[in-house]
This record gives sequence, C-alpha cells and structure tokens, in this order.
Amino acid sequence: MSNATAQNAATEEKSEEVIDLTAANAVIDKYLTLHGNLMPVLQGIQDEYGYVPKPTIDLVAERLNVYPSQIFGVLTFYAQFHLKPRGRFIIRVCVGTACHVQGAPRIVETFFDKLHIGHAETSADLRYTFEKVACLGACGMAPLAMVNDATYGAMTVQKVDAIVADYNQRPMKK
Amino acid sequence: MVNLTIDDKQVTVAKDATIFDAAKAAGIRIPILCHDKKLHPFGGCRMCLVEVEQMKGRLIPACTTPVTEGMIVRTTTDEIMTARKLVLELLLLKHPLDCPVCDAAGDCDLQNLTYEYKVNANKFTDEKFRWDIDYENPLIERDQNRCIHCGKCSRICDEIVAFGAYSFVNRGIEAKISTPFDEKLDCEYCGSCISVCPVGALIAKPFKFKARWWALNKVKSVCSYCGTGCQLTLGVKDNKVLTTVYDEDQGFHNGQLCSRGRFGYQFINSDKRLTTPLIKKNGTLVPASWEEAIDLVVSRLSEAKKSDPSSVAALVTPRLTNEELYLFRKLFKDVIGTDSIDHSAGYAHKALTEGLKESFGITASPSLIEDIQKTDLLLVLKSDAYETHPVIGFEINLAVKRQGVDLRILSDKSGKLTRLPDAKKYIHKPGSEILLVNAIAKSILDQNLADPAAQSLPGFDALKSALAAVSIEQISAAAGVPVEAITRLATDYAKAGKALILLPIGLGYPGHGSELTSALANLAILTGKLNKEGCGILILGEKNNSQGAADLAIHPTAGGRDAGAILEGCTSGAVKVLYIAGENPVVSYPDKAKSVKALESGAFVVVQDLFLTETAQMADVVLPVKSFAEKCGTFTSVGRNVQQIRKAISAVGQSRSDREITAELISKLSGAACGGSSAEIFTEIAASTPGYSSLSTDSLGDNGVIYPVVITPKLVPVVGVVPETEEGKFALLIGSSLYHCGTMSRYGEGPMLVCGESYLELGRTDAGKLGVSEGDTIKLKSAAGELNLKVKVGTRMPEGVVFVPYHFETSAINSVTAGNPVTWVTLSR
Ligand code: SF4
Ligand code: SF4
Ligand code: SF4
Ligand code: FES
Ligand code: FES
Repeated sequence: MSNATAQNAATEEKSEEVIDLTAANAVIDKYLTLHGNLMPVLQGIQDEYGYVPKPTIDLVAERLNVYPSQIFGVLTFYAQFHLKPRGRFIIRVCVGTACHVQGAPRIVETFFDKLHIGHAETSADLRYTFEKVACLGACGMAPLAMVNDATYGAMTVQKVDAIVADYNQRPMKK
Repeated sequence: MVNLTIDDKQVTVAKDATIFDAAKAAGIRIPILCHDKKLHPFGGCRMCLVEVEQMKGRLIPACTTPVTEGMIVRTTTDEIMTARKLVLELLLLKHPLDCPVCDAAGDCDLQNLTYEYKVNANKFTDEKFRWDIDYENPLIERDQNRCIHCGKCSRICDEIVAFGAYSFVNRGIEAKISTPFDEKLDCEYCGSCISVCPVGALIAKPFKFKARWWALNKVKSVCSYCGTGCQLTLGVKDNKVLTTVYDEDQGFHNGQLCSRGRFGYQFINSDKRLTTPLIKKNGTLVPASWEEAIDLVVSRLSEAKKSDPSSVAALVTPRLTNEELYLFRKLFKDVIGTDSIDHSAGYAHKALTEGLKESFGITASPSLIEDIQKTDLLLVLKSDAYETHPVIGFEINLAVKRQGVDLRILSDKSGKLTRLPDAKKYIHKPGSEILLVNAIAKSILDQNLADPAAQSLPGFDALKSALAAVSIEQISAAAGVPVEAITRLATDYAKAGKALILLPIGLGYPGHGSELTSALANLAILTGKLNKEGCGILILGEKNNSQGAADLAIHPTAGGRDAGAILEGCTSGAVKVLYIAGENPVVSYPDKAKSVKALESGAFVVVQDLFLTETAQMADVVLPVKSFAEKCGTFTSVGRNVQQIRKAISAVGQSRSDREITAELISKLSGAACGGSSAEIFTEIAASTPGYSSLSTDSLGDNGVIYPVVITPKLVPVVGVVPETEEGKFALLIGSSLYHCGTMSRYGEGPMLVCGESYLELGRTDAGKLGVSEGDTIKLKSAAGELNLKVKVGTRMPEGVVFVPYHFETSAINSVTAGNPVTWVTLSR
C-alpha cells in the first residue's frame, strides 16, 4: 500500500473506537519488509498502546494484507495479547495452592472491595487492572501479590490497604 | 504409480495419493468429517483412522497419510470401529443433538455417522457449549454450539474464496470458530462454508424450516445468472424451488457457487412472477388470454412484415436457451425478414462478435476456464473479473494461491483480485486500457520478444507500423502507469512459458469492446501464446448464455439496426414493431431517456419476461415466460461449454417458455408447422452452427461438451485515444456488484438482502475531502442528469474515481450515463 493510503487510514472512523493510528503505522513501517512480521507488529502495537485496539487490527490487516480473522485468531491464542485497555498498574494476586492455604482468597476479596473491580477487570480511570494468577513460583513468600514488576510477599489485609494507598498516589504517566 | 493393498484389494494409485484417495479409487468408503477433496489435508477429526500393517501399534488417519509401495491397509477392524465410535462419542458430548429442528438433519455427516456406528449411548458426560448464535447477518445462521471444529469453513473461505472470514480463536475448551471480534458475519455470502460444513453449524437462512432434506427432489441444472455456467442442483418440493443443493462432484468448480447462484434462486417462485398475458387497454395493462395476446402480436407482426419487414426489430436477452435464441433468429430473420435483431445494448457482445471475429476468425474465446489454473502468468483486465464471474474468481484464487500463477491486474481500480498474495496491479487512469495494451505490444516489439512465427501472420506489418507511431512515454503519462512497469509487464508476459488473458465484458463495461479485445489478442498472437494449454485469451461473457447468443448470431446483419439504432428507429418512426424478449433497456442500457423515449414513441412493443419489469410496464403486450427451472434446453458458457438445463418444476401460472411462444409465432406467421422439442431444435442448431456439428443433447450428459474451434490469427492494429479528463470532476465507472448479475438478481431474495440498493463507492481521501462518510447521501451530477446515492467508503477506488453498480432501477445510474467507458461527474453533499 502506498504511503498516501496509509495516511488516509491514519484516523479510522468506522470503528466505535477513535484512536490515533500514527504509532501503529510507525510500527508497521518498521517491520513492513520483514518476513513473518505479524507477531512483531502486534507486539509493537501492544507496547505502544498497552493493548491492541480494534482499529489497529483493521489497519494491520490492510497494510500487511492478512485477514482480520487470522489476526484475531493469533491475538486470542496467545495470553500475552490484550484486546481491551489495561490499567497503568497491573495487580496480580497468586491463588496457587501455597498462597491459597495461606489466605489468598481474603487478599483477593480485599482488593475487590478496595478497587471496585473483579478478576480480569480494569478500573474506569484505567489506573488498575486486577488479575488472579496461578503459582508465581515464589511459594516461600506466600501469600503473594505483584504490582507491575514489584513483588509483595506475606500479604495481609493491612498490606492491601497500604498498597492501594501507595499506588493511588503514583502518577499515571510512565 | 504406487501399489498397495486395502482390505485385501490390490490398488494402484498416483504417488501423491493418500490412503483415503486410494480407498476411494478402489470403491472402499472411509468415513471422514474434516476432510474435503478440494481443501488441503487437515487431519483434525480422526474419523478416518485405519490400520496399516507396516505402522502397527497405532491407528493412522487415512486422509493425511500418503500411500507407499506395498502398504497393507485395513479399514474396518474391531479396533478401528471402536476408535471411530469413540471419536463420535466425544463429539456428541458437546453437540446439542437438536436434530429435530436442525436444517442439516438428513444431510449431516455427524448424524449419519452416529447412526452408522450405532452410537446410542455415551460413556461420558459434559456440559454443552453455550455460544451466542449469529442470527444477525442476512444469509447465514451460525450456531457454533453445533460446531465440531473440523475447520472446513475457515479453510474453504481462505483457500478457495480468499475472503478469510473465520479463524479458530482461543485455546483449549474455549476454542471455537469465530469472525473477527466475534461480530456478526460480514462477508461475500458465497455460502461455500455452508456447503462444506458437515453439521448444522452453518445453515442457509432463506431455507430455514422450509423442508426436510429427504423430502426434496434434487434436479441438476445450470445457473442462470452469469456466463461462468456453474452447474447446480435445485432442491424442489411441492412445485417450488426451495434451495440449491451442494454436490461436490458437479462441474469444474466442484459444486462451488457464488452468492447469486446459491442464494438467488427465489426469483423462480417469486410472487412477482407474471402469470397471465397482459394487453394494454386504455393505457393500462390488463390480463388477457393467450389466444387474444398471440393473435394481436401475430396481426401486428404480419402487418409490419407485409408493409416493410425492416420496420420490425427485436432485442433478445442472452439469458434464453440456445434453442430459444435459434428460434428467435429464425422468426425475425427468416420468417419476418428483418436484420434488426440484437442484445445487450449492442456493445456488450462486440468483444466476441467483432473483436475475436477480427483477430481469430471466430466469435468464441480460444481458451477455456480450465486454462486459468494451468497458466504461468495471468493478465486480468479490470479487477471486476471477480465481481462479474465470482466462481471464475475462485479459479483465479486457486491459480494464485495453489499453483503459484503470477497474477497481473491492469485495472482502473483495486479490488478483491489485487489483494491476492503477490498480485501485481497496474492501476491506470480510467479509459486508458487500449493505450496501455498497445504500449505493451510496442514494448514486446522493441525488446525483440515477438515470436518469429508471428512475423509472417497477416497484419504483422500493419501492426508494426501502427505501433511505430506509439510512444510508451506518452502513454505512461496519459495512463498514469510508469514506463518501467509497462515494459516489465511486456517482458514478463512475453517471456512467460504460458500466459492467459482474461477480459470480462457486459452491460457494465462499455469500454470492453472489439478494439480492446483485438489489442489484447495482438499480445497473444505476437508472442505465440495461443493454441497451447494455459495460453490465449478468455472473454468472460456476462450472462449465462452470452456465448450461445454469439454462436447463434443474435446480432444485426448487414443493413440491420443494432440495439442503439433500434431504439432510435422507434423514436424516429422507422421501427413500427419492437419485440423485446427478456431485455430491460429502461434499466440496463445506457442512456435511460433514450430507451424511455423509444418505448413511448408509438411503436407497438411486445415484451416477454418473467416479471413486469420497468420495460414491460411500457409495453403494449406482455407475455409471461417460464424461468430456467421450468424448461429444458442448453446454455453455452464462458469457454464454449454447452450444458443442459433440466425442468425442475412445472410452469408458474400460465407462463410459456420463450421456445413455445416463438414456435407458435413462427407457425402462425409462416403457415408451416414449427414444433419440435428442445432436443430436435438442438439437432437443427448442430447442423447449422459452426462448432456445434458434433454435438447432440445425448452427448452433452451431465458435464456438457466443450465445442472445438479453429482459429486463424490476424494482427489488428487498433488506435487508443487519450481519455479526456475534466478538471475538478470525478471519473464515474459503472460495473457489476458481486451480488448481482444484470437486473434479474433483483428478484432473487438473497442478493437483495445483501445488496438491496444502489450506492456510490469512493476512496477515503475523496470521502474526507467531500466530508461524507459511509451511509451518507451524496448528489451525483453529469451532463445527462443527476442522482442521489448512498455513500460507501472503501479502499478500492483511486483518488478522483468513483464506482456505481448498474443493476438498480431506483437511482438508476443509466439516467446519468450515455454508454461511454467513463462519465465525468460532480459530487456534492
Ligand atoms: S459465505 Fe463465503 S465468504 Fe462468507 S464466510 Fe462463508 S465461505 Fe467465506
Ligand atoms: S462451523 Fe461447520 S465447517 Fe466450520 S468448523 Fe464448525 S463444523 Fe466445521
Ligand atoms: S452467478 Fe455465475 S459464478 Fe455465480 S454461481 Fe451462477 S454461474 Fe456461477
Ligand atoms: S502458590 Fe503462590 S507463589 Fe506458588
Ligand atoms: S477426516 Fe481424516 S482426520 Fe478428519
């Protein structure tokens, strides 16, 4: 596709979501000539937007000449891809066996109450996404929680309060 | 070849065969669910497990395992039967078993195999799926709860249709077939996925709850829409055609159909069908008896014949059978004595009747549809070849995707074909086709790539000197295609081992006439790409029997009027009786005002048709005719295949076939009896029509016969003209929508559900500039008139070029066009 058409596609109006496609176009430009470029393009787009917005899928389909259905298949097959916006802070609470017996369910409940979101949900202000996860491989620290890359061991209900208070203060900008 | 033993039978098969193929060849049936002979092997369902002596210890899927020399295969041991039963048990765990209300019941592989393997209990239990059913799209009900994950729908939509609507999504227990974002299906609606679905997960909505499969009478026939000539099977009950039935063994296309072939059958039993003759009395058409109507027509024809036979003219649709066309010609040329008989606005057949006639001495294409997959380089004029002939489009998809054919598209807009993998497109300014083809010819000569044998053919010197005056640079500038692209295409075409040219023609393509055809033929002749498999030129005639109409010379002879002149003759008073069979000039011919004026001129107008069309409404006498499902006869498709249609139902209302009506008129006007069955008339055709001499209805069988041709190539110089452009205006192209063919598909429910009204398609940049978006209304204005149309924004149209389909009466595009390849228009909100 010519550059001109790529630019025409810069704002896709048909989809309900209106997003700026400049970054997605740049990712596609970067990998355009690479063979087997679908995965790196989708990863690049997720890095840019934090998820893979629908209009970018239409754009990728058009520019790489792949069926949208195929892209959707790839995106739903790999757990790493997200089709909905994700929070700035991803809170993960382990519900593996060790954490479970050490009280993980109460930790989960407390987060639900504090954040007003459930499993795999994102707060309306896009600050938090909450996920229950299987064993994180640090059973010695059970019960375990993570916020983005930071690990919090031996979790208690009090610690949940502290974590939420802390992250409520942090800036939304990366 | 490979020798093996299957169930103690010796079998010899080609070395690329699978065990399944070998068993089939030996008449041994191995059950399958996910396998389809048209698709790449998948090996997902394990229904086809067999035992191979040399691979003991496990069961082997027959559908994916290639044969090897000396293989000993068993297909029905106890172990195999248990394994297959287990496969079924596992599938039935999730399957809803709502067979009493499933339209696939009786035609369901899962149901049939469950019965055959006597799976009357299940040792497992599990919850059923609870997916939402897609009721929203117009034609295909998708119930994924019934899906057995065979993947055939997604494979056929990719491998053959090249649309790619479906994909497997999610993993494990959540896995299913889905559209992007799990939204309602939005596709070409060819129905290929329905036809291969082994269960009732995909069903045709228009047929839902219409009849049980086993209650249908199945009648083999030929599609009556486009010139591809797809074979189809009509599903009939209570004298109604209720559906088309898939038969994977029909035709070169293995039973594949396009949207109009599969879903456009409802016109047959439409309640809009005419049921009695009508005669205009005091300005209104009122029902009349056949006797009265025929008497009136006979008296007007014989009066005119007596005073001046040339005051009679006929426009006859190429949708009629060969037998009917033959009788029409006889009636008008021999019995009445007029030379004014024509079809398709007079221009939509000239590629055959004049172009090929000039260049090859015949009025049919030298090449066949089968050549598409056998060529090395395929040059398609206009991306619309997919829209006009969708199943030929499937052949192109397969040629590119499976045979690695090098596809080149010379077109004024992009389209489905230009998106095929590695397709090279040459998007040119509208109206510059002949210039470009001449430039390619010139480049072939310049590069000394012409076949030495071509130099001694008639016309070589004339062409050479004509091309000497041609400047590739100037053409490049006028057409907007770079010089290097033109010369490269010339080189590649000339150097390809085999090369084939496709050109769609029809009412929507006024520019695809005799000159473009001769220019293209020059390329094939110059490079010796003729008389060889995978070579030559294939003209895609628009209608089901366009080729037959050319063969039977349904066009004016010396001194006769062509379609345009016939209409003008009515207006001037020179034509006193106009006989129209199945044509609809008011909607489909260019320049609507001209047609309307002719019909209002006072000439006596007889129309015979299935419907009270816009043209029939203006007639003095209207005669109701039978549809293709109510009669026998033959159609000749693209690539000269003469095929039989068969009567599936008895006449709707009092309708008579065009053959019966014409025969009666001949008898009455000539005084000599003219009866004869279709078969008898076909014998007369064979005796008098070039190429048909060896044919008889008996020899046609189920697959038809391709009649032979001998060509006498001649190089014909044609002059391309630099298309005019009008500053600040848009170039309007008309053409065919994928869902329609001519104006008849408007009476088919399926096509109308998908595409029920006209629209104007333009690119995103132009839409942005005009400030319009999808669904808005836009005003289009030409020198001839103005129209309001719905906007469709897409990626097909280059800047400054817009497209409108030509099939519709409301917002009829022929009220702003006059039959030029390009019409310059202004657009405003
Ligand atoms: S109807 Fe045709 S285009 Fe649509 S999903 Fe089925 S196979 Fe694909
Ligand atoms: S919908 Fe039908 S064809 Fe498609 S995977 Fe399911 S069972 Fe197979
Ligand atoms: S309309 Fe043409 S392509 Fe479609 S099914 Fe009929 S003959 Fe085939
Ligand atoms: S169970 Fe929680 S870290 Fe292993
Ligand atoms: S038919 Fe062979 S695995 Fe499905």
